[in-house]
Amino acid sequence: MRRFFARNAPAYVFLLPWLIGFFLLALGPILASLYLSFTRYDMVSAPRWIGWGNYEYMFTRDRRFWKALEVTFSYVALAVPARLIMALGVAMLLDKGLRTIGVYRAIFYLPSLLGASIAIAILWRQLFAADGVVNQVLAMVGIQGASWITDPDTSLYTLVVLAMWQFGSPMLIFLAGLRGIPRDLYEAAEIDGTPRWRQFTRITLPLLAPVIFFNLVLQTIESFKTFSSAFIISNGTGAPADSLLFYTVYLFNEAFKFFRMGYASALAWFLLVIIAAFTAIAFFTSKYWVHYENERD
Amino acid sequence: MTELTRRALLGTIGAAAAASALPAMPAFAADRSIRHYWWGNPERDKRTFAVIDAFQKKNAGIKVSGETIGWGDYWTKMATQTAGRNMADLVQMDYRFLFEYVNRGALKPLDEFAGKNLMIADFDKGPLDGGRVDGKLYALNIGSNSQVMVHNTRAFQEAGIDADLINWTWDDFAKVCEKITSKSGGKMKGSDDLSLMIETFESWVRQNGREFYSPDGKVAATAADVSSWWQMWADLRKAGVVRDKNKTVILDPPIAESGIAVGDTAMSHYWSNQLVGIQAVSKDKIGAAMVPHKAGGKPGQFIKPSMFLSLSRDAKDTEAAIAYMNAWVNDPEITGILGLERGIPCSPKIRAALAPKLTEVEKLSVDYFTAIQSKVGPLPLPAPKGAGEVRDAFMRIGTDVVLGKVEVAKAAGTFIEDAQAIIERAQ
Repeated sequence: MRRFFARNAPAYVFLLPWLIGFFLLALGPILASLYLSFTRYDMVSAPRWIGWGNYEYMFTRDRRFWKALEVTFSYVALAVPARLIMALGVAMLLDKGLRTIGVYRAIFYLPSLLGASIAIAILWRQLFAADGVVNQVLAMVGIQGASWITDPDTSLYTLVVLAMWQFGSPMLIFLAGLRGIPRDLYEAAEIDGTPRWRQFTRITLPLLAPVIFFNLVLQTIESFKTFSSAFIISNGTGAPADSLLFYTVYLFNEAFKFFRMGYASALAWFLLVIIAAFTAIAFFTSKYWVHYENERD
Repeated sequence: MTELTRRALLGTIGAAAAASALPAMPAFAADRSIRHYWWGNPERDKRTFAVIDAFQKKNAGIKVSGETIGWGDYWTKMATQTAGRNMADLVQMDYRFLFEYVNRGALKPLDEFAGKNLMIADFDKGPLDGGRVDGKLYALNIGSNSQVMVHNTRAFQEAGIDADLINWTWDDFAKVCEKITSKSGGKMKGSDDLSLMIETFESWVRQNGREFYSPDGKVAATAADVSSWWQMWADLRKAGVVRDKNKTVILDPPIAESGIAVGDTAMSHYWSNQLVGIQAVSKDKIGAAMVPHKAGGKPGQFIKPSMFLSLSRDAKDTEAAIAYMNAWVNDPEITGILGLERGIPCSPKIRAALAPKLTEVEKLSVDYFTAIQSKVGPLPLPAPKGAGEVRDAFMRIGTDVVLGKVEVAKAAGTFIEDAQAIIERAQ
């Protein structure tokens, strides 16, 4: 016990601000929303208990709920791998031991800091507008670009591209992971004449697996929660034709536009279940593909 | 006897307390503040802030803070503030949303102030009553308006258009669109594509002899109304005489991005009070036409309160708020600043005072108002709860039609089904 505290005390000290915030500020509202999810509540009159009514409506009658799931799952399926590949690629480039690496790291991290901002979302909308920069560049090489944002068939991809561009935080984590791979393994492979690609698949990927796993879980959770960029680009409504109806955007609309707080709470809890399920799947399957170097018994 | 003494005693104490409080009043009064929240455009914001300055000068001690935002985000922010019990003291209200907000208990009735510190006895009865719900006045009319087809007079002249823009029909409209498009070599299209404008569609339904909502708050518009509307615009799109579909599907764009402001089109649908704001962002002189009529149909347009001022549930200093409200509709200087930008005032006195000082575009809106008086139908009943969501559904489903992804008839059926479900669920 004493040893446990001696070893973990610093960790708990660092966790303290979060713990205080969680218990004082977040826990109450979280429990309240669980209660509200079983009520009909319009924020003005008192909540009315309706049992499983909200959940029942969600699964049996709400077409937009299914549409929101479809949009969000498509986005997660595209954006998470795209961002991780981008992050790993850039991290490997930066791992070449450049002298100015600090500068590059900062530069490549910048979009992630900006990415969540409203300004970037607005910029994105203009870049991909019918007469936006993207189409003007395409026109130079003789391609007639689509109206990316206003076409329901392409609007989601503009957000995937935006997600790809925000590779900063997984990139930093990959970079740290790459640094942890012993150099002598590569040197040995080099001497044996192993091609670069095999070095990557046989050394880099397996040894990086714990880091990939960590990034995958984090990015999946984050992508399910994508809100501000979708909200801005779709004018807050999921437009065009609900092609950008992200789960969170739908939830926001139900809560703050149509005053259905009870229903929105139910939606929020179901999102939690989805994210928890995905995280559980990742953890459960991880033993088959994630190998920790120091776990040999 | 004992009771009398007690009462007298209490009275004395009360008076003493009041007396001792009195000298402190000015210091306290200097801290009085009210918040006013409205949806705007650059021109309206300029005028409103000028009104706030004028009011503060006359009422030292009351600080008014103005909060403004475009129509597109207005109701989201308002709902958030309502939920957070943090509504501005005075909020701008729209006829479409009035019923919803009153039903939620978010507004306070004004009847108790009328005749005391809110002088509205001589106002036009019709426009004033537009702010009543269940007999109580919840919203003070700050201007009336009607639908209008704003048009570019230069483009109309150059194309040699001589249609009677008050009595014209949808066929005339289509011909005008063709003429303008061909005259400009396709650079300027005849009109914005109004497929997604539920406001214009409501006129269409009325022209067919129905209201969008029945008196008991059900959806009365039919799938045939919807499909004929969307089909007409599909034909115009096919003919290439209305605005590019990728612009059409951008919902609730600011005035400055409308076809008529940027010069893409020669016509757009607006509300008549917006003439002032549109002229401010358009290069060419604008004119006002009625929404085209259905040949042999019923009147579709109506005159409605364009905007209201409402007292919110969260207002603390109601006295200051009502003083501000009263100044909005009675103070000659303030009504002078406002002009007709929010609509035609319903105080005959104020209208008379404004008449000699009207600008060109204001004169246009007064003349238009006069011209349509006998051509409009009655004011429809306030929309039921859920109408805002129906509007969203109309734009959402219409987007697929405009982009040619769903068949008109199928989409029309879907919309009516959805609208009925939305209204049913909202009750």
